[in-house]
Amino acid sequence: MASITLKNIVKTYENGVTVIPDLNLEIKDKEFIILVGPSGCGKSTTLRMIAGLEDVSSGELYIGDRLVNDVPPKDRDIAMVFQSYALYPHMTVYKNMAFALTLRKEPREEIDRKVREAARILDIEQYLNRKPKALSGGQRQRVALGRAMVRNPSVFLLDEPLSNLDAKLRTEMRTQIARLHRNLQTTFVYVTHDQTEAMTMADRIVVMKDGVIQQIDTPKNLYRHPCNMFVAGFVGTPQINFITATLREQNGQRCVCFENYAIPLPERMQSDEALGRYMDSEVVYAIRPEDFHADCRRRASGASNAVELRVDLAEMMGSEIYIYSRLAKSNIIAKISSNEQIKSGSTVDLYIDLDRPHIFDKESGLLICD
Amino acid sequence: MKQKRMRGSTATVAVLCLLAALFLVPVVIVVINSFKSRFYISGAPFELPNSETFVGLENYINGLTSSGFLAAFGRSLFITVCSVALIVICTSMTAWYIVRVKSRFTKVLYYLFVFSMIVPFQMVMYTMTYVVNAINFDNVVGIVFIYLGFGAGLSVFMLSGFIKSIPLEIEEAATIDGCNAPQAFFMVVFPILKPTAITVAILNAMWVWNDYLLPYLILGTRNKTVPVAIQLAMQGAYGSTDYGGLMAMLVLAIIPIIIFYLSAQKYIIKGVIAGAVKG
Repeated sequence: MASITLKNIVKTYENGVTVIPDLNLEIKDKEFIILVGPSGCGKSTTLRMIAGLEDVSSGELYIGDRLVNDVPPKDRDIAMVFQSYALYPHMTVYKNMAFALTLRKEPREEIDRKVREAARILDIEQYLNRKPKALSGGQRQRVALGRAMVRNPSVFLLDEPLSNLDAKLRTEMRTQIARLHRNLQTTFVYVTHDQTEAMTMADRIVVMKDGVIQQIDTPKNLYRHPCNMFVAGFVGTPQINFITATLREQNGQRCVCFENYAIPLPERMQSDEALGRYMDSEVVYAIRPEDFHADCRRRASGASNAVELRVDLAEMMGSEIYIYSRLAKSNIIAKISSNEQIKSGSTVDLYIDLDRPHIFDKESGLLICD
Repeated sequence: MKQKRMRGSTATVAVLCLLAALFLVPVVIVVINSFKSRFYISGAPFELPNSETFVGLENYINGLTSSGFLAAFGRSLFITVCSVALIVICTSMTAWYIVRVKSRFTKVLYYLFVFSMIVPFQMVMYTMTYVVNAINFDNVVGIVFIYLGFGAGLSVFMLSGFIKSIPLEIEEAATIDGCNAPQAFFMVVFPILKPTAITVAILNAMWVWNDYLLPYLILGTRNKTVPVAIQLAMQGAYGSTDYGGLMAMLVLAIIPIIIFYLSAQKYIIKGVIAGAVKG
């Protein structure tokens, strides 16, 4: 069990490209932390530096209290699960799982006990004599997890372990990995570009972009209080809606104005000092798709929260309908209950939840208030 | 439509059978004649042995006991086994290094190996013989290293093509599991390379076993290999060449390589495809 500390970590490749300019991160002992971000944001590089598969150009990397910058991977007391499983194709499942222990020259009985115990937990006992090619994707991934488990490492590193699985299996494995973390009580560092995985499994999520950490927070806080437009846009499915609007005061009330709408801001924003500096300027009004409602009971007094949308496309998702439309020259997605009768091409009145907007600076993309 | 396709496939099979037969004719003639009396071989080479011409294993006994064939056989076996083992081990490590270490040096090294494939042997054979004699490599051990040099080009080319298709993550997993570089190579990479390594082994074994020119130049007639021994047997004075024994020697010379090829042929197909597609 160990914490991980990354202090002023820089990663520059031989060709001079800097992918991580200055990274600082504290991962607590037994924490399940997920690094998330688009392709090329440096999340896998960060993980690989923790694993020792990539050199740290500068900065300090600690696992527990030990500075591990120059410690080879095998001596870092870590285990890693790869996206492509990286099982040894010429070995049986048993030998794959026992390989690290064999190299450590552990007694044969001890190896056997550990392998069978891990196989039992992961429900792969019946496949121990098979070669990886005779297994399905999900089974292979469980073997990869088992191979990591038997070593009883201080830190588990998982590099997009579910990306090669189909949607159903991914959901199953998500539960299994979360359960594994709970049972093993070990530090887990997990990399993914799938924000659903991040939201469902992590204790804390690290959102990265261009090698820079944008925000570190719990899934709930990340969703509710994103620090900038990137994070707001990255977290949540469908994506949050951004509407460029002008902040004005109307009838003694702060409103965001776009097209011919004047949407009043919630009470907490009326006296917000930071927001006050943006009066009569353009801001970005961000509203989550589920904060649009078709139910007329959600209409505010004077219908001040109502917007009229032409439905470009209505996607039936089962329990919800995704409405694709345009508002104030922006593409809009609204997620409403499938009980509503909405057809593509029709016009519909939707009511915005006035209490849940985020206001961002249009230039910097940083949060002003939410 | 179906009938047309069937007719087409029958024609293809017929053509292929004909080609296979054509390729087999020389081997069949050698085998048939190895059981015939020497006096009937040049007169009626295509005839099957009959009660008059059949001599049983006499030719084989003569072949084996004459011209130092057994010694030559042992020498060829030693040279082939050692050369092939050395080629497979050294070139697979070289190919691994070339593929995994990306630098200008490895790039140059790779092209050097590829270039060595296209330089004709005849172009370098005299200078090479001179150098080999000068450094006292003109013996059965020295020739093994010379074969390594000549066989390295194609072998490195084939193996590096296959290594490129091995995901780097497997080696990284081995590193995390506790392997150092030699362990990662011999315990993880080399077993994965098996199909291509066997292909390389078969190709090199066929070449080394059947090679005449290099052993003739390096070892001369002092340390005969099988092809040199056979050639010397053929050189007997006019009219005195024992064609029966010669045929038997040819059959015996073919057998080891056929056995090796048949026992490993499933890998050669895999290996050639891997090299062709992934290379």
